[in-house]
Amino acid sequence: MESFAIGTALVQDGVTTGAVYALLGMATVLLFVVTRVIFLPQGEWVVFGGLTLAMLQDGKVPATIWLLAGLSVVATLLEGAAALRDREPQQLGRIALTCLGIPLALVALTVWAAHAGLPLVVQGLVATALVTAMGPLLYRIVYRPLVDASVLVLMIVSVGVHFVLNGLALLFFGVDGFRTLPFWDVQLSLGNVSLSGQSIVVVVATALLIAALWLLFERTLYGKALWASASNALGARLVGISVPFSGSVSFGIAAFLGALCGILIAPVVTLYYDSGLLIGLKGFVAAIFGGLASYPLTLAGAMLLGIFESGVSYAASAFKEAIVFLSVIPVLLWLSMRGGAHDAEE
Amino acid sequence: MKLRNKAAFALALSLAVTAAHADLTVGVSIALTGPGASLGLPARNALTLWPETIGGEKVRLVVLDDAADPTIAMKNARRFIEDKVDVIVGASNTPATIAIAQVADEGQTVQISPSPAELQPGRDKWVFRDVMHAEYYTEGILLAMKAAGVKTLAFLGLSDAYGESHLVALDKQAAAMGIKVVSVERFTRADTSVAGQALKISAARPDAVFVVAVGGGAALPQKALKGRGYRGKIYHTAASLTPDFIRLAGKDADGALVMSGPEQVAEQLPDTHPGRKRALEFVQAYEARYGAKTRTQFSAHIYDIGIMLQQVVPIALKQGKPGTVEFRAGLRDALENTGATGGIATTKGVLRYTPSDHWGYGPDARVMVTWRSGDWQISKP
Amino acid sequence: MEPLDMSAHGAVPPASSQRSGLWRRSCQVAVIVLVATLPLSAAVPEFWISQANYIGLYTLVVFGLVLLTGVAGLTSFGQAAFVGIGAYASAYLSSVLGAPSWATLLFGLLVTGGCAYVIGAITIRMSGHYLALATIAWSLALYYLFGSVAALGKYDGLANLAHMSLFGIELRSGRAMYGLIWTCVGLCGWGLCNLLDSQPGRVMRALKHGRLLSESFGVDTVACKRLIFVLAAMLASVAGWLYVYLQRAVNPTPFGLNASLEYVIMLIVGGMANVWGAVLGAALVKVLQDQLQTLLPSLLGMAGNFELIVFGALLILLLRFAPQGAWPYLRRLVPERVPKGVVPSAPMDRRPVQPDGGALLTLSDVGKRFGGLQAVDGVSFHIAPASIVALIGPNGAGKSTTFNLITGALSASAGQIVFGKTRIDGLPARDIARLGMARTFQHVKLIPGMTVLENVALGTHLRAPSSVLRSVLRLDRGVERQRLHEAAQALKRVGLESAMHTDASSLALGQQRLVEIARALASDPMLLLLDEPAAGLRHREKQALAALLAELRAEGMTVLLVEHDMDFVMGLADRIVVMVYGKKIADGKPADIQQHPAVREAYLGSNA
Repeated sequence: MESFAIGTALVQDGVTTGAVYALLGMATVLLFVVTRVIFLPQGEWVVFGGLTLAMLQDGKVPATIWLLAGLSVVATLLEGAAALRDREPQQLGRIALTCLGIPLALVALTVWAAHAGLPLVVQGLVATALVTAMGPLLYRIVYRPLVDASVLVLMIVSVGVHFVLNGLALLFFGVDGFRTLPFWDVQLSLGNVSLSGQSIVVVVATALLIAALWLLFERTLYGKALWASASNALGARLVGISVPFSGSVSFGIAAFLGALCGILIAPVVTLYYDSGLLIGLKGFVAAIFGGLASYPLTLAGAMLLGIFESGVSYAASAFKEAIVFLSVIPVLLWLSMRGGAHDAEE
Repeated sequence: MKLRNKAAFALALSLAVTAAHADLTVGVSIALTGPGASLGLPARNALTLWPETIGGEKVRLVVLDDAADPTIAMKNARRFIEDKVDVIVGASNTPATIAIAQVADEGQTVQISPSPAELQPGRDKWVFRDVMHAEYYTEGILLAMKAAGVKTLAFLGLSDAYGESHLVALDKQAAAMGIKVVSVERFTRADTSVAGQALKISAARPDAVFVVAVGGGAALPQKALKGRGYRGKIYHTAASLTPDFIRLAGKDADGALVMSGPEQVAEQLPDTHPGRKRALEFVQAYEARYGAKTRTQFSAHIYDIGIMLQQVVPIALKQGKPGTVEFRAGLRDALENTGATGGIATTKGVLRYTPSDHWGYGPDARVMVTWRSGDWQISKP
Repeated sequence: MEPLDMSAHGAVPPASSQRSGLWRRSCQVAVIVLVATLPLSAAVPEFWISQANYIGLYTLVVFGLVLLTGVAGLTSFGQAAFVGIGAYASAYLSSVLGAPSWATLLFGLLVTGGCAYVIGAITIRMSGHYLALATIAWSLALYYLFGSVAALGKYDGLANLAHMSLFGIELRSGRAMYGLIWTCVGLCGWGLCNLLDSQPGRVMRALKHGRLLSESFGVDTVACKRLIFVLAAMLASVAGWLYVYLQRAVNPTPFGLNASLEYVIMLIVGGMANVWGAVLGAALVKVLQDQLQTLLPSLLGMAGNFELIVFGALLILLLRFAPQGAWPYLRRLVPERVPKGVVPSAPMDRRPVQPDGGALLTLSDVGKRFGGLQAVDGVSFHIAPASIVALIGPNGAGKSTTFNLITGALSASAGQIVFGKTRIDGLPARDIARLGMARTFQHVKLIPGMTVLENVALGTHLRAPSSVLRSVLRLDRGVERQRLHEAAQALKRVGLESAMHTDASSLALGQQRLVEIARALASDPMLLLLDEPAAGLRHREKQALAALLAELRAEGMTVLLVEHDMDFVMGLADRIVVMVYGKKIADGKPADIQQHPAVREAYLGSNA
């Protein structure tokens, strides 16, 4: 095999992983920009998405429904108590629908889907929907009460959320690893280069999602409002943009992106209950390359990271992880200096 | 199963209170979570096949999870020593076993290990393995390779002590068999992709690849090599022979060659094989309880330890009661005498320990099997 | 200055506080006795002893976090990696070279301190969450390095290490190690308490409140943060050293990210700002962890680290409802320490008075540009010694910018500033402070949680050497007494000595401004720079302030004020400099300025 073929194989492998990191990186950036939360557990959505799909493929009801149900009940109680305290009983109807009705409907759908023998793509969508619904509920329960906390406190809270979700993943899925069936099980040959169908699916899906996100933020009023509430919460509130709503939506989008990553990589990577941390951190690294602010840079950074990882695992497999994480530090340093040393007094 | 859990729970709670045990207490440290769980969980299943009493003493099992981590395994072992267990069983992976061995040595308690832990000379006074060392299996694989006409070989193995011991064995033996090692690649248990390593190996075009991995984790290199279009023979160590490997590797598992303990293909063993009788008992008992084709290496190792204890505990009881220093020393002496007194018949053959050899098995404790048509079959090279 | 009447200070504490002092002391003694005698009784099972050993190790690491995060406000998710460096260094030296235990301790401290210095130099400049992210990054990198280096045994680590051997005694048992571990905990805790109760400790606490504040009284904030970082790492290294001799084997797992996160949980559970909260946090978390590790798997019927679910939930709830941790609840059982009176002591060295002749401060054609905005443009004026100069002008005139240029908070784009005989434009603020300039801030910057006296003592930073080592060993009592004495004197000058021992945040704004002035005075400056000192003061307070400033001028002090209050300025200043849109438009005596046409135009519109 000549070095060209090796090179292209490595690049292909790198681009596929890079696409996944890009999705995760963007979810991370979105959350940070809109809610100032550094969401370390982003990788857990990946695991929940992928393993839920694996359960569905096995014809079993995924235990993830219990988490969704639990979050739904707690959120409903919190919202209901708040509505009663503010003497707004008319809100209870809306609350019942959004916090209780939709999640429980998804739970019912999942239970039915487990035994219905649906095609792969539909199963993937069900798994994604189930996990996406957990995002806004998590925001409501954990992060909304802390909306004025500092970035550091929010980060430490995210550590707590990571522990909880990780432990629950063990409880729901056990210690076994899982792989799902590929969405497109072919091996295409273009001359010397061999492409797997699954890789193509991953890259195409990522490209579509990135385009959709770009459209959302650049072209829709709603997307711009989301951005606005990130830069200035008070100003956003004054012009009628609801900050909690922005928070819910961004958590929803982040969970959606995470779950989607999960179902995309589940055919090629054996997912365990604790795979989430490392995947999430790599997505984080991509987000940092993008300065925790810019989507195009995050995409570029993710691709670079994916290819870099492939190359390093080929050349010096033992030191791969150490090198990847060390490379983050100069970037962080540059970012910190460029962002201006904003003192603690801010 | 629940009974054992409650027993473990009760014992753990009562660890704060030390008391002389009237029962035969066995401390078991295996991986029930983490990457090593595919070996540890079947091992715990096998514990339920042990008899309730051995040598007239009630068996009390304390099962602790070490997640295949040497630090936790060492803590478990220390807890066992503090609680004066009679024998330690562990661990389900080599690095953890080595960690336990250190503590067992200091605490002067017999450790029976289902992992092939290589210890420094003089450090295995109290450690007995019921599986053979890496050189033994590697020798078998190399012989099979030689018979199959393999001239060049690549190594794709774990970077921990398990992988290292096989690499060292390979380096020692390969040249003498006329086989050249053309590429050595390593990976860790936590890796999600070995694409780079597989690429490098398939670029070197070896006749065969020797994969050293554990349980479900062996599916990763297998699939990666097949995914690169590698068409040579792929050999595995016995640790790959698990249902998880088959489940995760899917159709890429076809043709995988494993140097296994003979009990995995008990039904196919010739009648002359010394382990056949016990092996059949094992697979029937285990699969009756846990389902067809759930047998694994480690469940067999643990089952064998039960057989061993049934043979040596009555001898040790003549030296002292369980919970005493004399009993533990008596256990060790009884085990070391098995070489002279005819050995212990296990699922693999006859186990013979001597004061200088704590490994014990002869040449018929290994057999080459291959996965074909949905089952493991003895492979004739 | 006249000698201070000391009879009001150092008074004998009332009888009730003597009793509570006794109660406090006896609590401390009881705890020490309990901890010390625990291993001696054979009735205490081995299990508890080994638990206590691990709690001791964790406590040492959390001490470092108390200093790093609780006191200095720097979040680190990487302390476990430093434990690892210390452990591996000690283990390597012990197993490869057979070095004795004390040597492996020193080697571990050296290697860890060195690594911390390098890592700190790179990451400490980062702020807030970037720093936290960087600590995660290098913590992971180090973990993987531990696992990939062959000499360190890779993921299997090093095993069969020797026992601890000190002064010829081998510590073979858990109980023997208990003695060593808890002695270390006691010594380190005592040292840390000493450090926090001294000038370096006060300076460290000030770090959280911004660079500007600390630099204004002469602290090199970057060096200080780096020092704290290294100290925290060295505490972790001691824990690593003890770990090696406790386990007699090392492998990477206890030094990974999860371990670092657990230390942070211990910090938060125990209470971030208190040294002994570390013991509480480590103990609570460890005991809870052990109980849950046995309870949960059997409850749920499967093996696994489910206690992490509880810890995660605990962390979230704590940060939401009790961010102070558990320590304050324990604290209520023991009364507050009675503040010691200030002891009279020899005064500190005064700065030599500048010989007469020549201006004290001269600005020549000073300019500052921010991108497209010329905030200060060609400003020149001088300040004569022993005079009060006021800098006034409408909003946006560039007064604050000029102020910041003089004090070194900003660097000039053009022109020169000369202070005494030294050119100071381009110098960092702390060097300018060293030359004899002291300032106050428009938004008062006092440290809450410290008393007024301690806040003012910060100002004395540059007047005496401040050594971390001496503070830790409590050899600095003489200097400390001097500092507090000077601070008390400065407080007397501004008329606030009665508020000496109250918490600085509980004072009214006007009084807080006076405390800031006292802090500036405590540094014995030649030039006092006051940024809107009269803002928020009542009429009487303004009068008192004006009188104080006049007194100071009579004693030879030079003052530059930025102010909006015309009455205050007109009656007090010797000269007034007026700025509009970044340029100086007038400079002269108050009476002249009042008549100056350009000034009237700027303030009142034309032809008023």
